[in-house]
Amino acid sequence: MSITERHTARRGEVATAVRDLAPVALGLAPFALLIGVTGARSAAGAGSAVLSSVLLLGGSAQLTALTLLAGGAATGAVVATVAVVNARFLLYAAALEPHFRDQPAWFRWLAPHFVVDPTYAMVAGRTDLDDPARFRRYWLTAGGGLAAAWIAMTALGAVLAPVLPASAALTVAAPAMFLAMLVPHLRARAGRLAAVVAAVVAVAAAGLPDGLGLLAAIAAGVVTATVADGLTPTSTATSTATSTATSTATSTATSTATSTATSTATTDRSAS
Amino acid sequence: MTLLLAAVATHGLRTVLITLVPAHRLPALLRRGLPHLAPAALAGLVATALVTTSAPSGPAVPGITYAALAVAALVAWRSRHPALPVLAAVAVTVVAEVLS
Repeated sequence: MSITERHTARRGEVATAVRDLAPVALGLAPFALLIGVTGARSAAGAGSAVLSSVLLLGGSAQLTALTLLAGGAATGAVVATVAVVNARFLLYAAALEPHFRDQPAWFRWLAPHFVVDPTYAMVAGRTDLDDPARFRRYWLTAGGGLAAAWIAMTALGAVLAPVLPASAALTVAAPAMFLAMLVPHLRARAGRLAAVVAAVVAVAAAGLPDGLGLLAAIAAGVVTATVADGLTPTSTATSTATSTATSTATSTATSTATSTATSTATTDRSAS
Repeated sequence: MTLLLAAVATHGLRTVLITLVPAHRLPALLRRGLPHLAPAALAGLVATALVTTSAPSGPAVPGITYAALAVAALVAWRSRHPALPVLAAVAVTVVAEVLS
C-alpha cells in the first residue's frame, strides 16, 4: 500500500467513526445535560458532575454516584454501588476483547476507558474492524469524541442548571437512542429472543437495588438466546459458518485484501 | 477522592477481561453467549428507563414518555437512522408538555 493509500484509509476510518458518532452524541446530549443539571442542583455540586464525566464516563453510574454523594453516603458505599451499576462493562469488555488482542500495551490498558453502552453498540454494528490498526483509529476517534462531547455537555448542563426548565425531554433521549441502536439487532431471531427476555426480566426485577435488575436482565437475555441458538439445528450451522467466515475475514484482513474480508463478513451477517 | 476510587473500580471492570484475563481464555459456552449481549443489554436499558419513568418518584410523566418512545420505536424501525428516533422522541415530549 502506498503512502497516499494508507493516508486515505486512515482518513476513511476517522470519517466513519465521526459519521457513526454524530447521531449517538446528539442522542446522548440531553442525558449529559441532565447529569450536569442534577449535580449543580444537588449538594454534590457542578464540579463533581463534570469530574464524574471525566473519571467514570457512564451516565447511570454518574447519576447514582452524584445522588449518593449528595446524600452524604460513605466512600465504600459509593464505590461498591458504582461498581455494581457498571458491572455490565465487564460483559462489554469480554465481547470487545478480540479487537484489543493484537493491540499495543498502552492501548489495551488505557483505551478500555471508552468501553460504554454506545461505543460497544457502535462496534457491535460494524463488520469491518478486524484489522488492529483500523480498529484502533476507529475506537480512539469514536471513544475520544464521545468522551469529549459527554464532558462538554455535562459542563453545559451544570452552567445552564439555573435557567433550564424541568422537562421530560432530557430523560427520554437516552432510551430513545438505545432503542434506535436495538432495532437493527431485532432482524435476527436470536436477537429478538435476547431482547424480549431481557426486557421482561428488567421490568420484573426493577425492584432490585443498584442496577442489579439490569444486570439480571442482560444475563437472562444472553443465556436464553445462547441456549435457544444451541437447540436450533440451522443456527448451529449458521454459527459454524459465522466462525469460519469470521476467521477467514480476519486472516484476509490481516493480509492486503481487506475488501474481500469485509464482504465475506457482511454476506455472512445478512445470512444469519 | 470518592469519585477517583469509583473510577479505579470502573476501569478495573473495563480492563480485566481485555488486559488481565483475555476473554478468549473464557470457556467456549460463555464466549458463545457474547454475540447476544448487545440486544439483551440495549433492551434491558430501554425497559429499565421505562420502569424508572413510571415509578411514583420518577422524573417524568409516564404517558408522555411512553408515547415518545413508541414514536421513537416506529421511526427507528422505518428509518434505521440512529438520530431520527431521538429527535422524534424529544419533539413528541416537548409538544406534549407544551400542550398539557
